[in-house]
Amino acid sequence: MAVAPTRLQVLALYKQFIKNSKQFNNYNFREYFLRRSRESFRANVALQKPEEVARAFADAKEELGVLKRQAIISQMYTFDKLVVEPLDSQKHTPSPTGV
Amino acid sequence: MLRSALARCSARPSAAAARALTARRAPISAVSALSARFYSPPSNLDKSAITGRVIDVLKTFNKGSEVAADKVSAASSFQKDLGLDSLDIVEFIVAVEQEFSIEIPDKVADDLKTIGQTVEYIKNETDAS
Amino acid sequence: MLRFTLARSAGAMRPATLSSRAVSALGSNVSLRRQYASSAAAVAKAVETDEGLSIETHTDVQAANKEQTDIRTNSNISSNVTADAISSGTTALNHAYRENTGFGTRPIYMDMQATTPTDPRVLDTMLKFYTGLYGNPHSNTHSYGWETNKAVEAAREYVADVIHANSKEIIFTSGATESNNMVVKGVARFYKNTKKHIITTKTEHKCVIEAARSMMNEGFEVTFLNVDANGLIDLKELEGAIRPDTCLVSVMAVNNEIGVIQPLKEIGAICKKHKVYFHTDAAQAYGKIPIDVNEMNIDLLSVSSHKIYGPKGIGALYVRRRPRVRLEPLLSGGGQERGLRSGTLAPPNVAGFGEAARIMKQEYENDKAHIDRLSKKLIDGLLANDHTNLNGSALHRYPGCVNVSFAYVEGESLLMALRDIALSSGSACTSASLEPSYVLHALGKDDALAHSSIRFGIGRFTTEAEVDYVIKAISERVKFLRELSPLWEMVQEGIDLNSIEWSGH
Repeated sequence: MAVAPTRLQVLALYKQFIKNSKQFNNYNFREYFLRRSRESFRANVALQKPEEVARAFADAKEELGVLKRQAIISQMYTFDKLVVEPLDSQKHTPSPTGV
Repeated sequence: MLRSALARCSARPSAAAARALTARRAPISAVSALSARFYSPPSNLDKSAITGRVIDVLKTFNKGSEVAADKVSAASSFQKDLGLDSLDIVEFIVAVEQEFSIEIPDKVADDLKTIGQTVEYIKNETDAS
Repeated sequence: MLRFTLARSAGAMRPATLSSRAVSALGSNVSLRRQYASSAAAVAKAVETDEGLSIETHTDVQAANKEQTDIRTNSNISSNVTADAISSGTTALNHAYRENTGFGTRPIYMDMQATTPTDPRVLDTMLKFYTGLYGNPHSNTHSYGWETNKAVEAAREYVADVIHANSKEIIFTSGATESNNMVVKGVARFYKNTKKHIITTKTEHKCVIEAARSMMNEGFEVTFLNVDANGLIDLKELEGAIRPDTCLVSVMAVNNEIGVIQPLKEIGAICKKHKVYFHTDAAQAYGKIPIDVNEMNIDLLSVSSHKIYGPKGIGALYVRRRPRVRLEPLLSGGGQERGLRSGTLAPPNVAGFGEAARIMKQEYENDKAHIDRLSKKLIDGLLANDHTNLNGSALHRYPGCVNVSFAYVEGESLLMALRDIALSSGSACTSASLEPSYVLHALGKDDALAHSSIRFGIGRFTTEAEVDYVIKAISERVKFLRELSPLWEMVQEGIDLNSIEWSGH
């Protein structure tokens, strides 16, 4: 029987979803997967039965594999940013050390 | 943009690996693990500058617009004062990691409950920039 | 011959040089990168050579934009608009653009009825078939064939599932155009000895209309049903048009220009009653509105993959098995796909299409909620401008297709003023010819209004920020263009435009 994941494992998986979604170079895909990750994890907060939680966790892990591969591909084939997309939104102040 | 983020990640896997090792060896409370681990010099960032940037991140991350501005201070607790749930906090932590080009291990992140603790962690982080 | 060989070897050398440079570039940075551990990071390393030499690709959208604008400007000059007016308009419009404000330059994509972006999950499925799984699905003597065949059959299940059909009833084709041709020509030809009549509508996609016209050359009669001002057909007119020698009724599910949903269930019931085959072109409807081929008595249904975030170049035709629908195949050959569509299947496309269909079903509720919300916002935002109206029924519509008329604005000038949004004034073919849309004509719209109509497509990947941007951009520029227009001035002064006598027209 599948064992339900711990709270920390779920949060770690959620972090992976958010981080990998953010890696998409394509604005629309990035925004979609961020939105979808948020929605599906939040929807699954209500899951109670250990087997349900375990199944959702296993499914999500599989989806994470797709997300990881596609995020990388999205970085390989890049296009100009959209008119709604800020050119630089990652840092609030320029990096003092300038990595 | 993302590429440069990756480059930044690539610069410090050794530190991350060291941190992971320490975390595994010392399953004590993460906060004490922090002090035990910092044989390397802390980041040269100014504490007030870090606080300013952390608060900026808090205001601009996904749930930032829902955070009441008057409740934001160094002592604010994410959950109690700012009304963020565990998933929101994960997103906030990711945004902080991105802002300072660091990686906060999951176990440590779970113990960061306030803005002050987060700032303290970044202050002690060698690679924060 | 010699030249050819030379050219070929030169071509072959280029990548070799590139890769050796890439290797040296990697080498110089090796100290920085050697600590990579995860596989994802390893791939990222390959992507990241150095600044000077990147294996990344991108297109220069601005160059394409300029070219497109030049074409539009030129074609406008030839259609009796003075060059001066165009250039002064363009210069004056520049203020309306968001330029050098720290944002990108690539236009927002709002032409979802023309095609949709390929979902990354679909691409992920397809890549397997371009890397390891390259067997011919019809090869039944080895495992390479078996594994691809298994994937093809799984995809067939997913495609069938969305419309509650059996997977044996799904025929893979090259797209909805082929499916539609196959039905209109194939069914008619099969029954040509006893039947001589086809019924369709005036708002169908060009491929159905043209296929029906070509059957007129083969001795068939075709009735093109009218639509009302909402774009809906009259069921009584349909029933009245059915004759003893009618073999096929073809009515599209969702219109590609105005998004109107035809009453499929009612049409299906009428067709069943009169024992006439019912075909629906569901290119714009499949996976986006609920369709049940059994409940709706649909005998044939056309699907296109690239309208559901799948790969381009593939589609399907649903052909009912019980009672069996007979049709003559367009292509002769090895008899694949139940003998109806010969030719080797393309497993990457089939698998991608299957995955796209699977996701359409899985994400139906989520997509619907998202598109409904954005559509409402867009319609409310656009209709807040004076003298604008929504084309097609407000009730019976797929919300992802929003067609709005902006009176007293010339559609082409508006599109030209909207270089930062990828839009169309109708279907892809009519916008190129500058002809007013025949669909809007069928709704009883006059030329001027048909010309000033723009279609907005909202999909799974459209964001709220994009909708906000579009509302703002359209509102500003409609206002701006109207200020230039003498007609608008007269309207503001309360002059009835119909009372004006035009001279030298």
